[in-house]
Amino acid sequence: MEITFAVLLWGVRIAFLLLLYLFLLRAFGVLHRALVAERVADGATRALGVLIVERSPGHAPRVGERFSLRASTSIGRDAGNDVPLSDEAASARHAVLELRDGEWWIEDLGSTNGTLVNGTRIQRTERLHFGDELAVGRIALRLEKGAG
Amino acid sequence: MIAVTRRRPELGLLFWVAALGITGSVAVAAAEAAGFRPEQLVIPVTFVVIAFVLHLFLAARGIRGDQLLLPIAAALTAIGLVLVQRLASNLLLQQLSWTLIAAGAFAATILIPRDLTALSRFKWTWALLGFGLLISPLLPVIGREVNGARIWIGVGTVTFEPWEAVKLLLVIFFAAYLEEFREVLSQTQRRFGPIPVPPLPYLGPIVAMWAIAMLVMVFEKDLGATLLFLGIFLAMLYLATGEAFYTLIGMLMLLVGGFVAYHAFGHVAARVDVWLHAFSDDVRFDAGYQLVQGLFALANGGLFGAGLGNGMPERIPVVWSDFVFDAFTEEVGFAGAIALLALYLLFVYRGMLIALRAPTPFMQLLAAGLSFIVALQTLVIVGGNARLIPLTGITLPFVAYGGSSLVTNWMLVALLIRVSDVTARARGTP
Amino acid sequence: MTRSIAANIRGLTLAIAITFLITSLGVGYWTLVSGDELNTDPYNPRLVAAIRDRPRGVITDSSGATLAESVQTTNGYKRVYKDKALAHVTGYASFQFGASGIEAAYAESLIGQDPGDPLSQWRARYLRERAPPGSVVLGIDPKVQKAAVDALGGRRGAIVAIDPRNGAILASVSWPQYDPSLISDPATEDAAWKQVNEDPDHPLINRATQGLYPPGSTFKIITGAAALENGVDPNAKVRVDDPWQADKSWGTYFVRSSSRAHGDYTMADAYRLSENIYFAKIGLQIGGQKIAEYAQRFGIGMTTHCDIAATKGQLSQTGALDRPTLIADTAYGQGELLVSPLQMALVAATIGMGGIMPTPHYAAEVRDAAGHAIRVIAPGPLGQVIQPETARALTTMLVGAVSGPGAFAFAAKIPGTSVAGKTGSAENPSGAPHGWFVGFAPAEAPTVAVAILLENSPKGGEDAAPLGGRVMQAALGR
Repeated sequence: MEITFAVLLWGVRIAFLLLLYLFLLRAFGVLHRALVAERVADGATRALGVLIVERSPGHAPRVGERFSLRASTSIGRDAGNDVPLSDEAASARHAVLELRDGEWWIEDLGSTNGTLVNGTRIQRTERLHFGDELAVGRIALRLEKGAG
Repeated sequence: MIAVTRRRPELGLLFWVAALGITGSVAVAAAEAAGFRPEQLVIPVTFVVIAFVLHLFLAARGIRGDQLLLPIAAALTAIGLVLVQRLASNLLLQQLSWTLIAAGAFAATILIPRDLTALSRFKWTWALLGFGLLISPLLPVIGREVNGARIWIGVGTVTFEPWEAVKLLLVIFFAAYLEEFREVLSQTQRRFGPIPVPPLPYLGPIVAMWAIAMLVMVFEKDLGATLLFLGIFLAMLYLATGEAFYTLIGMLMLLVGGFVAYHAFGHVAARVDVWLHAFSDDVRFDAGYQLVQGLFALANGGLFGAGLGNGMPERIPVVWSDFVFDAFTEEVGFAGAIALLALYLLFVYRGMLIALRAPTPFMQLLAAGLSFIVALQTLVIVGGNARLIPLTGITLPFVAYGGSSLVTNWMLVALLIRVSDVTARARGTP
Repeated sequence: MTRSIAANIRGLTLAIAITFLITSLGVGYWTLVSGDELNTDPYNPRLVAAIRDRPRGVITDSSGATLAESVQTTNGYKRVYKDKALAHVTGYASFQFGASGIEAAYAESLIGQDPGDPLSQWRARYLRERAPPGSVVLGIDPKVQKAAVDALGGRRGAIVAIDPRNGAILASVSWPQYDPSLISDPATEDAAWKQVNEDPDHPLINRATQGLYPPGSTFKIITGAAALENGVDPNAKVRVDDPWQADKSWGTYFVRSSSRAHGDYTMADAYRLSENIYFAKIGLQIGGQKIAEYAQRFGIGMTTHCDIAATKGQLSQTGALDRPTLIADTAYGQGELLVSPLQMALVAATIGMGGIMPTPHYAAEVRDAAGHAIRVIAPGPLGQVIQPETARALTTMLVGAVSGPGAFAFAAKIPGTSVAGKTGSAENPSGAPHGWFVGFAPAEAPTVAVAILLENSPKGGEDAAPLGGRVMQAALGR
């Protein structure tokens, strides 16, 4: 009787350690699958977004320059922006492009001179489609599908 | 309009957590009573229910993104409950109540604020709140002094360590502040000889914030919290600017500060002397008793441990809060200790990945800073337990007995999950 | 240019991962590497708990007579020791002050989990079951031990007798002694501990294994061995004129002859009359490096492989012989040399065994509760440290040192048996010279080797030699 109990108790103790490792293994598996899924999604995101400079009177940005978009891309006069625009009409932090559920949205951050989409001044946020033209001051950019 | 999400991997992992928690509890109960009574299952089962409810809550709220952090935190909390049952069973019910409160805090943090950027907008409010919490133990009536450190507040029998919450506020504040000024702070064109001169006016507020924290900690005599704050401060500066220069200055400050503290404060010198001379005869029976007993426990652990309930970790004074790592290692061995460390590393790694993918600098800094807290706390207390560095009163996240630490760590998990959720929404991933 | 936050996150994560790795290594050190030491630490509560509520095994001498046993008291067990003269061998076992001697060295065997029985260790660790404790049987022979205690007669000093064939220690006395029963009894331990620690004669030190003394002329055995194996002809005459110095650069420093000698000496003469100047001269001839090498071969300054704590001794303060005067002084056994009586007994045993040095050991066997041997303690020899012919030549000369005309060590003679031996009078800073005798018998096939040390004995080696004779005679009658 007592020996059986000791054996059972040791079974439970060993099971605890085994379970700890099994859990760890499973957790690694979950992380790995999540990373693979994210990488696939990443590829899709890159393919989805690029801004091409259409019109630009100054040197920066140059006409034809392409900016690959991140899930959240800032536009403005400051050099720290993802897409810096050297135009007096642009605000320091002018607008931000965001990918929401696979769709591109633009949000004007309260700029002084506003943002135009296809020639129309936007209120605050607006859904963007590929081929749309953004204009800030004298600079114009077109949203296109990325090269992949 | 909330779309319910299916969080299958998370659910799958939680079944393993349930098995782990119940098995551990059964082993401890059986070893102690040399017999097993079914009613002893109430506590682990209650915890398992809490964990599943949290999972359902996330799914019902349509939270996307990470599915790993909740199971890991739950596994660590389950291990913590098993160890409290093993080492201080009279505190078990109390710890379970704290777990319930922590779950509530987790859920609340998932809901409030609705928009994470609110955290960034109200940064000065958080700074002020943090400062208030920090000095609260020094106030009369609610302030409490335990073992020479005045770091507790309490009403009646319920006590709380406010600095646990302050560490979260500190990371939020730094993330918000540094997002705004990181460009300026990393402009180090101005040089004084070979030394780059940072733009002091912008550095001012964070240095002030840190200095206040340090001063208060000196008055409250808590070495661990001081170390943690300094670590967070340096890590956040590095994350924001990538300037090795700041890290260097920080290390220098740590060395100078440590040297000054060693000579100026008795409690710091005592910790260092215990660390250096743990086994000398005048230390091992006196100030170093706890550490030496902890090392005996580690040594008894060997590769696979003495078995749950079969070691003698209860010989370590206050084992349930300061030395849980040694107690755990004695009973499950090096193999178990490595698995535990791997769980922490996985948690931190996951947190850092969330930070990498986060859409805004604020969220990047926030997620990285929060993950860093868990890493630093784990390393500092395990290092202290294993006599790699002087021992400090930092708790092992999720595992050590203590309500304040459990509640804030679960809030930390909620914040990381929220950053991950925002990222997933932006990218259109599940 | 600002580094991207992403790059900084990667850097920080790498740093964290590395620190986790280092921390894991630290945990690995304490759990896997330090285990042997910490698990047997006398203050480890796991060990104390294992013994407080159950008796420890008994310690017996080679005849089976009990030397130490556990006695039940109102609160647990305490240790009682039968023979104070063996206090340093058995040691003590106190909950408060730890353990020493055999009690410490065989602590696991005495609580029923001998390393020779892995199953018992496994059962103790995982099932909390311990076999009833067995016993540790020592090689101490009661007759030789009594002869040694009587011979020392309450003088400060030490006697070691060893069986050169297998390294078993037959007798071991260290004086003054203390009462280990008092230190092992919770009722008296504090006062007893205080008293022995404050005693200016340091009774806690086992002088036989841990005492450090200049060897005096007994060291000439090692110098002789080095000389014989490095081209010195033992029959060549060496001029001795007292006092002597190699050249004027020694200034006022001279080597003195104990017999104020003027004459020509062979090596045999030099051993018989213990001539310092002879050995100083051949020491300088072969050089400090050779003397250092042979001292090391005989274990001086090296860890002594013994089952209870034993000192290493020292050749010189720097570990090297780098000045002519130090070489000359060391060659005849002074200089900065320090050795334990056990080390000198081993030197004698090695010469007797044709150059093969035995491994000394106090315990002979670990037995289980039923009296069956779990482990026989029979460490093989440490190795061949000098050539057999060198050992034979030295033996002949050492027999002459006991029984030749005018031999200094004549008092060690045993009727009907040839005895090899050497006396020594060691100058020391604490007063009268220490008296030494080392030797073995029968010279042609020894069954016993001894070292005698008398602290501050007026006539030095002359006082020690007869003690060696008596102890060896007792051992021969075994």
